[in-house]
Amino acid sequence: MYHINKIFALAIIILLTGCSIGGEKKIKIFSIEKPREKLDYPMPTALQLEDLKWIIITSKNAEEVFAKLEEAGIDPVLFGLTDKDYQVLARNFAQIRQKLQETNNLLEEYKKYYEDTGNSQ
Amino acid sequence: MFGQIKMIITVLLIAGLAGAGMYVMKLRSDNAILKANQSKLETAITEQNKVLEQQKQDFTAIMESNKKLNVLINTFKKDLQDLDKRFTKKNRDIGKLAIDRTGAIERIINKGGVNAARCIELASGAEHTDAELKATLKSEINPECPSLANPNYVPYQ
Repeated sequence: MYHINKIFALAIIILLTGCSIGGEKKIKIFSIEKPREKLDYPMPTALQLEDLKWIIITSKNAEEVFAKLEEAGIDPVLFGLTDKDYQVLARNFAQIRQKLQETNNLLEEYKKYYEDTGNSQ
Repeated sequence: MFGQIKMIITVLLIAGLAGAGMYVMKLRSDNAILKANQSKLETAITEQNKVLEQQKQDFTAIMESNKKLNVLINTFKKDLQDLDKRFTKKNRDIGKLAIDRTGAIERIINKGGVNAARCIELASGAEHTDAELKATLKSEINPECPSLANPNYVPYQ
């Protein structure tokens, strides 16, 4: 009887503590950071502008200029600008060129910042 | 009676041993958790340091980039002022000059047009020619955009 009690007590202890030995394995969750794909556009191709010729026409040389145009088989017509408007045109072209340069520069800086330093989001 | 007391003592002893064992196991488990926490904290600190370092680098890169763009914008202003000067220097009137010296001004205007077109090509990303890169004298540069066309040219003060 004494042994039975002992065995019974042991069995109860094992029964009660059994689940805590070993236990369930924990699920491991880990994340891998995958960098965003690069938008790898090539830089825009450079412009290749065509040559154009300016003709200065005054009241003195007008006839001579038109005669020369006719001689060369070119329609005797000119699209004119005053000297002040020519200055405005030159200034406008300079501003367009500067804007182009600024935009290209910004593009390069963005590219450098986000691609060279690995700051891609 | 004696047997029952013995059994109770035995049960208590076994329970005590089991409790002690479980307590040791709990302590070991707590220790493992603390170790893991410590390791996580150390990793977090390392990562935070990395982030701070990256932020520092980013800030420097942004400052440099801003500086470069500001220099560029100042160059633009100077280029426009130079262009205006070329038309109005010493009360110059390009209209009157064109009447008096039509041929010469026509050549100058056409050369200026070619130079301005080249400036646009360079601004759009065209490669510099050797001559443009080597130009250091005023007579060799593209006067429409020297800062863009001739990076090695230093203007006289």
